[in-house]
Amino acid sequence: MSSRPDAPDETALVEALKRGDDDAWVSVIRDLGGRLLAVARRFVRGDDEAEDVVQEAFLQAYKNIDRFEGGSRLSTWMHRIVVNAALMRIRKKSRTKEVSIEDLLPRYKDDGHRVEVGEAWTERGEDVAMREELRRTVRDAIDRLPENYRNVLLLRDIEQLDTAETAEILDISVNATKTRLHRARLALRELLDPHMQGDAA
Amino acid sequence: MTCKEFIDFLMAYLDGELEAETARVFEEHMKLCPPCVDYLESYKVTVALGRKACADEDAEVPPEVPEGLVKAILAARRKES
Repeated sequence: MSSRPDAPDETALVEALKRGDDDAWVSVIRDLGGRLLAVARRFVRGDDEAEDVVQEAFLQAYKNIDRFEGGSRLSTWMHRIVVNAALMRIRKKSRTKEVSIEDLLPRYKDDGHRVEVGEAWTERGEDVAMREELRRTVRDAIDRLPENYRNVLLLRDIEQLDTAETAEILDISVNATKTRLHRARLALRELLDPHMQGDAA
Repeated sequence: MTCKEFIDFLMAYLDGELEAETARVFEEHMKLCPPCVDYLESYKVTVALGRKACADEDAEVPPEVPEGLVKAILAARRKES
């Protein structure tokens, strides 16, 4: 959702939104709503809750549209608002008992070698083939990460926010953001490991 | 450098944030330790898999927004204003 040089001029649309033009708002909701729902679904559970998040986000947008400067794309601006609304909702309810990140990280012997060195993964390189089953496995594994780590991974690796933006949105330091991202990836790797070794995939 | 240190430094290495000397030792470890090379590869695949799983999901999102949601947003907006 980053800005593109060939993107159409949004000035007229934004002006209409600022005037409170219903048609303009409906067109933005229809235009961006589907993708924003997908973003919300990654953070919260269930379609109803995701729809609540998107509704809340559009209310926020409506209240704050006067502050939208046009320095970014409307879609980028809405994306941030949805992410914030989803995080607010998560904060309100603590999730059921979670595993500790320590239990998901690789374990080492006293000499610094890994305790379990499995086989190499069959998938190599970043151009991975994605089968439906594998996609479900990856989504379930992300869901199993402890919330503080899951949120950083979603923001950085999936929603593609940069480190500073992620730190700001989560109100943690840049260093904490980096540490959590790395640990989240290590934990995700451990969770995927049994599915990815040798012929297991 | 131990395997544990290698794994601790992985992200910084991939982001190009290691100091030159540490990066050199890191690469030295790679020459001596095939399992760590596999690990580095699987770490990159992990990041790519997460990204791809969610990107595919986005591609499948129906373009239409549920009509009920459009109405709910407009109704909530009127209540606020």
